[in-house]
Amino acid sequence: MLLPKFDFHEPKTVNEACQILAEYGAKARILAGGTDLMVNMKKKILSPQQLVSISRIPELKNLEASADHIRIGACFTVADLCESDAIQRHLSALAEGAKNLGTPLIRNLATIGGNIGSARPAADLPPPLMAYGAQAVLSSLSGERTVPLDQFFLGPGFTAMKPDEILTEIQVPALPASSGAGYINIGVRKAQDCNLVNVASFIALDAGGIIQNARIVMGCVGPIPLRARSAEKILIGQKPDTALFTRAGAAAGSDSTPIDDFRGTAAYKKDMVGVLTRRTLDIAFHKATHRQ
Amino acid sequence: MSEYTVINSRAVRRDTPDKASGKAVFIDDMSLPGMLYGALLQSPLAHARIVRIDTSKARNLPGVKSVVTAAEAGLIKYGVSPARYDETLFCHEKVRYVGDDIAAVAAVDLETAIEAVSLIEVEYEELPVVLTIEDAMAEGAPVLHNEYPGNICAEVHSEFGNVEAAFANCDLIKTTTFKNKRQDAAFIEPQGCIASYDHFGNLTLYSSTQVPHYVQRTVAMVLKLPIGKVRVVKPYVGAGFGIKASANPLELSACLLSMKTGKPVKMNYNREQVFQYGRARHQFTHTMTTGVKKDGALLALKHVCYLDGGAYSSFGIATVYYAGSLLGGPYKLPNMKYDGYRIYNNKPACGAMRGHGGVAARACWEQQLDMIAEELKISPIELRLKNMMVAGDVTCNDLNMSSLGMKECIEAVQNGSEWSAKKGKLPKGKGIGMACGFFVSGAGYPIYRSDTYHGTVVIKLTEDGGTALVYTASAEIGQGSDTTFAMIAAEALGIRLEDVRLESGDTDFGVDLGAYSSRQTLMTGHAVKEAAEDVRQKVLEVLSKELNVPVGEMDIRNSLIGFKQANVDFSGLRTRYVKEHRGWTDNPTDGPLTFKEAARMAYLAIGSIVGTGKYKPHELGGKYKGAAVGTSPAYGCSAQIAEVTVDEETGQITVDKITDAHDCGRAINITSVEGQMEGSVSMGLGEALFEEVKFDNKGRVINADLAEYKIPTMLDMPEVKTIIVESNEPNGPFGAKEVGEGAIMPTIPAILNAVYDAIGVRIHELPLTPERVYMAIQEAKKGKKT
Ligand SMILES: Cc1cc2nc3c(=O)[nH]c(=O)nc-3n(C[C@H](O)[C@H](O)[C@H](O)COP(=O)(O)OP(=O)(O)OC[C@H]3O[C@@H](n4cnc5c(N)ncnc54)[C@H](O)[C@@H]3O)c2cc1C
Repeated sequence: MLLPKFDFHEPKTVNEACQILAEYGAKARILAGGTDLMVNMKKKILSPQQLVSISRIPELKNLEASADHIRIGACFTVADLCESDAIQRHLSALAEGAKNLGTPLIRNLATIGGNIGSARPAADLPPPLMAYGAQAVLSSLSGERTVPLDQFFLGPGFTAMKPDEILTEIQVPALPASSGAGYINIGVRKAQDCNLVNVASFIALDAGGIIQNARIVMGCVGPIPLRARSAEKILIGQKPDTALFTRAGAAAGSDSTPIDDFRGTAAYKKDMVGVLTRRTLDIAFHKATHRQ
Repeated sequence: MSEYTVINSRAVRRDTPDKASGKAVFIDDMSLPGMLYGALLQSPLAHARIVRIDTSKARNLPGVKSVVTAAEAGLIKYGVSPARYDETLFCHEKVRYVGDDIAAVAAVDLETAIEAVSLIEVEYEELPVVLTIEDAMAEGAPVLHNEYPGNICAEVHSEFGNVEAAFANCDLIKTTTFKNKRQDAAFIEPQGCIASYDHFGNLTLYSSTQVPHYVQRTVAMVLKLPIGKVRVVKPYVGAGFGIKASANPLELSACLLSMKTGKPVKMNYNREQVFQYGRARHQFTHTMTTGVKKDGALLALKHVCYLDGGAYSSFGIATVYYAGSLLGGPYKLPNMKYDGYRIYNNKPACGAMRGHGGVAARACWEQQLDMIAEELKISPIELRLKNMMVAGDVTCNDLNMSSLGMKECIEAVQNGSEWSAKKGKLPKGKGIGMACGFFVSGAGYPIYRSDTYHGTVVIKLTEDGGTALVYTASAEIGQGSDTTFAMIAAEALGIRLEDVRLESGDTDFGVDLGAYSSRQTLMTGHAVKEAAEDVRQKVLEVLSKELNVPVGEMDIRNSLIGFKQANVDFSGLRTRYVKEHRGWTDNPTDGPLTFKEAARMAYLAIGSIVGTGKYKPHELGGKYKGAAVGTSPAYGCSAQIAEVTVDEETGQITVDKITDAHDCGRAINITSVEGQMEGSVSMGLGEALFEEVKFDNKGRVINADLAEYKIPTMLDMPEVKTIIVESNEPNGPFGAKEVGEGAIMPTIPAILNAVYDAIGVRIHELPLTPERVYMAIQEAKKGKKT
């Protein structure tokens, strides 16, 4: 398969990149790891005339953990996420998502920004990031703005980003003391598989061990990663136990809106949302009670 | 210690360093001066009449050198078996599947060729599409080929013994229906070729093929060329698994375009086209009824099978026969009745793939045998051992088990997996299961009726005596055959492996039917051995004259000449040799006479030393119709035990371990045998758990890539414990027989039986995706409640 023709830009700073995007608008496309974009270009689904590589912008590769935030640069690779101690320690569900993404070859190239920017309903990183309450930082010549990931995805391949904007970093707020998250994805085989269902759950407990806050995010069962709102409601104000998590799982199944497709039936995916919700809540609860 | 000096060891493969370092040359690495690039116009519709083809815009595009359609190619029918030649190079009246070839273009570069293809105008009149066996067989269904009413491509009806009479004597009769799914072989290298037509009318075709010989014949026949002017050369090939075992439209188109333009023409399939071309494993629906005595003695099998064939025959006639005949063994089965049907429909043709015709049948039956064992309260191993054939037994359909280490294989996996400590003692969700299987060591007959030798080999010694050059037309496609034949040549001639050089895969080197039906080690191996012995004899005869020692009192080993008598004086020979090599630093001074010296003397005496070898199977059993499919000079066999964990809440299966024992006769290269065993497990595991080529309702493949067509990854592969069981096959060179295909037979049923052991639910349809397993568990739960 041959690539369509395009011009190639390689800016060294975010500002330079923003200038190129401002000039070409919708004719341009940002190229990060290329593991999503190149496939679409070879299949002629996308034929951008201008490719703006952001791989040579050092500031996009930073990871910074401060008292109130963890900031992950958009070009931080998935392999970096797998290996980072800070991610493993603070955002273990994200690390889990990263470890389950693609293959070693893909992980070496794929970036966190590209995983979000491609807005695939089955992607591995949005559910854990949304469960942690992450937000996207977007830059353009007219300045910077912050969009919660909850409001970032609009549909398969569509996001709140404007054509002249770059996603520069992901911000995850520091987690409350007794909180934790879990992530599980299932596919047909053990690796390099488009997920059938993936779920991330986050809970925060108060001093008395009551669930104060809960976020459950389900992938593959809607046009964008979905929050399981009624499951979250069931959890909040309750003491965690297996029976509660099973009820929350059943509610999450009802919150999901999967479709039959060649990968699997809606009925199976709904049932799996229930199982994965319960299992990720178990992990989240374990983390919440075992975090130092 | 082995009695052999070269074979029966772990030799480093001859292709390994080149492949590991990227030096190995595949079609994609090759180019010739002035080379053009070709592209195919393939049908976007599954069934349509061609009303009009207009190529004028394509011809006028700058850079386009030739555009060919059926008008230029002619309408000579070809295919695999002459009994079912049902394809023409390009469609003329109608197209029969999405991907059917309509035209080809040669241009200065690939971009131009692809653009030109898009400029060819075809007016179609759409015809109703049939995509399933049921639709194709329905009353009034549209017919794909007028010559085959009812869309029945082939049917087989055979009975050995008397099944109904036997059923009357059975204590238990069990019927099950089983379905696998259409496979893709997922070889790493898509088909590709370069054709080059010279000024003298000679055509050389470099192609990624398993069968240079059959491709040569098909090209000559379809393009009406004298066979002596067609040469097919196979560079390194990234596997084939049966799909590359016949001539394809790329090869024929590239040849035609090269003839038209006088320039070399290169053509490749992309991955999507590999799926579209198909020719891999059929979808089979087997219904088997087995009757046994209370003690487990097998009495009869009644078997009906439908093959979802696709638009053309390809290997299909052989497939429909194999699907029945390969159940004749390895168990003693006195009565067997088979009705097989291969049905045409508007999907890509299916063909031959590893374990040709026998894999789904074996899976169905071995699972059924476990069900029978359970009902009779006999252990699955005991049931199998009770009915097992031994060497020398002949099946009811006349397959002669000239060697059969089946019992040894079962015992090896039983011990190797600690079966007795596990079977029946594992916690819920964990299971263990076993199965057996066997396969031919080469088809007894060529694909076309002929008295041809199946392999010829020439070995020539270099005139200065250092090296044996082996020339074979056989096909190294990644399985390791080049190394195997170099080892056989070295062993039979008595020289070191490093003193052999081997060239293969070129029709100019002789006849070899190629790499399919697990034939090369046995068949080409015989020819290599005979040629090596011929060379050996010629050298020893000259020595005998020169030294006055009888041939029988000399031996060649490790590239040295040995004499039975002490004190044979060969100093005269040595002096002559040294005189001819004045100034050389490697001249022999003392020590035994070397092969190099002997070979040089032989050359000086009688000229170039050339030995020839040939092989064709002896008269094989079976006089009934279809006996040619299944009969073989030898059969390899194997047993496997699978251990699995099933997540009952999600249906996900993890195969934890496979213990695999295979009887390959004498192992020539032990590492290669193990490689085939592990590869077979991986392929069988994929078919068992994940793989299925899927279509939309217009007949288009919807998962034509390796992201959505799921073969096992490293993480899906279990630990594989390989145990080689050696028998001494009387019809094999040094006692060797197959391992390439037979090793896949037990994998699927072993996994099926292990999954049942883990969850207590039988599943009769592949693949065992998490969803299918989960739904089966849910169904069973519902069944229990009501
Ligand atoms: C074989 C294979 C397996 C895969 N497996 C998985 C998997 O298991 N799980 C999974 O989630 N994904 C998987 N993917 C998809 C892909 O690898 C990931 O989504 C990856 O994270 C994309 O990152 P990238 O840097 O390669 O993105 P790119 O391809 O470079 O970009 C993707 C999209 O995002 C936009 N974009 C990228 N960065 C920015 C930015 N900073 N600002 C604005 N827009 C931006 C691009 O313009 C483009 O539209 C797989 C892909 C392949 C080829």
